[in-house]
Amino acid sequence: MSEGETESTYFRRTSRWKLIVTLLIVALIVTVIVSLNVGYAQIPFGNILTILGKQIPFVNGFVDSSLVLPSQTAIILQIRLPRIIAGVVVGAALAASGVVYQGVFRNPMADSYVLGVSAGAAVGASVSILFGAGFSIFGLRFIQVAAFIGALSAMFLVYNISRVGSRVPVTTLLLCGIAVNFFLYSIVALLEVIAGDELHAIVFWLIGGFSNVLWSDIWAVVPFIIIGVVISFFYTRSLNLLAMGEETAQHLGLNVERVKQILLVLASMVTAAAVSLSGLVGFVGLMVPHVTRLIVGPDHRILFPASTIIGAIFLVVCDALARVVATPFASTLELPVGIITMLFGAPFFILLFRKKKGRYAS
Amino acid sequence: MSSLVLLNVDGVECRYGSIKVLDDVSLSVKGGDFVGILGPNGSGKTTLLKSISRILKPRRGTILLNEADIYSLKNVDVAKQLAVVPQESNIGFSFSALDIVMMGRNPHVTRFQMESTKDLAIVRKAMAVTNTWQFADRPINELSGGEKQRVIIARALAQEPSILLLDEPLTHLDIINQLEIMDLVKELCVKDKLVVLAVFHDLNLAARYCTSALMLKKGKVFAAGGLSDVLTSENIKGVFNVNAIVQKHLVSNSVFVIPLSPQKQVPARRCAVHLICGAGTGTALMKVLLDEGYSVTAGVLNVLDTDFETAEFLKIPVTTEAPFSPITEKAHNANLDMIRKASTVVLTSVPFGFGNLKNLKAAREALASGVTTYVIEEVPIDQRDFTRGQAKKLFKELKSKGAVFVNNPNELLSLLNVSEEKMKRAEFEKAKLTDHLKPEDIPKKTKIRW
Repeated sequence: MSEGETESTYFRRTSRWKLIVTLLIVALIVTVIVSLNVGYAQIPFGNILTILGKQIPFVNGFVDSSLVLPSQTAIILQIRLPRIIAGVVVGAALAASGVVYQGVFRNPMADSYVLGVSAGAAVGASVSILFGAGFSIFGLRFIQVAAFIGALSAMFLVYNISRVGSRVPVTTLLLCGIAVNFFLYSIVALLEVIAGDELHAIVFWLIGGFSNVLWSDIWAVVPFIIIGVVISFFYTRSLNLLAMGEETAQHLGLNVERVKQILLVLASMVTAAAVSLSGLVGFVGLMVPHVTRLIVGPDHRILFPASTIIGAIFLVVCDALARVVATPFASTLELPVGIITMLFGAPFFILLFRKKKGRYAS
Repeated sequence: MSSLVLLNVDGVECRYGSIKVLDDVSLSVKGGDFVGILGPNGSGKTTLLKSISRILKPRRGTILLNEADIYSLKNVDVAKQLAVVPQESNIGFSFSALDIVMMGRNPHVTRFQMESTKDLAIVRKAMAVTNTWQFADRPINELSGGEKQRVIIARALAQEPSILLLDEPLTHLDIINQLEIMDLVKELCVKDKLVVLAVFHDLNLAARYCTSALMLKKGKVFAAGGLSDVLTSENIKGVFNVNAIVQKHLVSNSVFVIPLSPQKQVPARRCAVHLICGAGTGTALMKVLLDEGYSVTAGVLNVLDTDFETAEFLKIPVTTEAPFSPITEKAHNANLDMIRKASTVVLTSVPFGFGNLKNLKAAREALASGVTTYVIEEVPIDQRDFTRGQAKKLFKELKSKGAVFVNNPNELLSLLNVSEEKMKRAEFEKAKLTDHLKPEDIPKKTKIRW
């Protein structure tokens, strides 16, 4: 390959990355619109577009909504759309934090829940289901606040236990995360045993899903997730350096301990916000980064944004499946999305790996 | 660069837990210095590099980069001046070689910037000089060990450092790559006034490129200074516990080191061997016989003869003659004295001229006085007789009088073992053994009269 060619390839790659991100965003929008069509009530696709068009400033003057029933508008805007947007937000958050965790830990097994965030959230949620149902704080559901606080407390607990002087070695962090996870899940199990009638609610929350999501629930977590994801994006080159090993990253000018600290706090905050909205949706944070890496390669500058969007698409698709898959058996039964992500995600993941494992293996 | 970069390591002590790995190590270098860090495994070489590259903070002592404490500087500022090539790089992800080298630009690019064409130009230069540009697009984990290491060196160069730390940088490289990379580093050191601190296991590579050296033993500085002052056989013996020949090479004009296998712990044999050799024919045998536990003497040898130098080095007692001179009667008699104290005489396949014909006569004397005499005839006597047949005649005489002829040194060794068994029973031999010259008997310095 000639020199000019290599050089132009290097810079052309940036525009290729932009193209990938653009295409993925388009795919996400299409997925969202198509999945609005999925559900028990049959609403013509034209009507859905009309309802959406009516919501867009300036465009709404040209949209004729005379044929749309008010009940259809309500179903789309107050039931389906919040649920789908929640899927977008949670899927993006889990996938983004999954990339960060795998990068910081340089461990393919790391996922969004590795630092005890899930278990902490589970304890918070279970406690609130048992003892604080119906409370609300600043108009937010108590369960959401409790899950968020529980998740962050668990993360800080793990982080401080594993600190050695000013350093936080990743192996101790991983092991402490596992230990704290077990400890907290035993509390959840204890709460489940004494739960009685509330057991059903706890189990549903632990699987994770979007039933009865309100717009206010979403707005409460979106700022945390956007801030976390956007700031993390500026650390994608640092993640590339960390992939070289911590010593090398330091030799290349990275303030390793500080960057690790910032990234872990951001990713945990993003995860905590997401699970407070949806419960413990599993597998997204582990699988989506791996699948994306197979497609776009290991460079975090494209891996991170692509994973974020693919995570959103993946969870929206899974949620759509959750809404229709059980319909033949019981018309109003909806599965929690957490079941779908694992039930369909895992075989898909294995299939993809068997096909491309040669390329992935280092 | 307006002024030369300075690196001062002063009284550094490092510990892993309670184990002291570096103890009061000091070092002062400036731009243009090429310093080899030498020492056996576990002597603290890598730890010293780690403490300089801010991975392991010293418990005591300071490390100053241009008079600023390196531990008070920001990582990114240090990385602009100091680059490290680690012992081994495990990169699990399939980044391209170009991506890896571009990471060297990290200290020069802020978090919110992308790399510019200028950065790419610097990277391209670094890859061109390390001969890695031709596989810029290949994934790093598909490259060979040597190619990978060159990419890592290119990454260090892309940092545009003024100090380069190399930790065993050549382990994965074949000989041509070793020389190319080191030539390159040396050139940067001389032309751009880089400081190069390199850990070497190969003393000869160190000797070839370093201007000065630091020899570590158990975390302490054993020797420091100019290369030829540090790289001596005494220091090598002291640090590595290995005997080595250190000489100036005629072609490369650098010091070179030939390590010798550590002395085997064999039970000393009660057998003294006198070698009649010369012109390098006895060199290998001297070492082998010593290793096998024999007591060895040699003579007559001309001073400056290869065998003489070997004997000097191995501290073998020798009867000598002045350089390029025929053996005098005096030397011959001294040799006969030495032979009488030996239990065995070995005659190597040395060529004979009129200068050393007396040595052949000495062998005849030995045989006559009842000393077992072996003759190694690797080269037929016809081909190495430069005395118009006199040597050949003496040879025939030796054969008829019962000298044992063997074809090579190995044959000799197996025969020696047998005759040693016989000897144990011979009472009168004992006197010879006790009288035989010991290494400490030889004078400390052989006087050479020109």
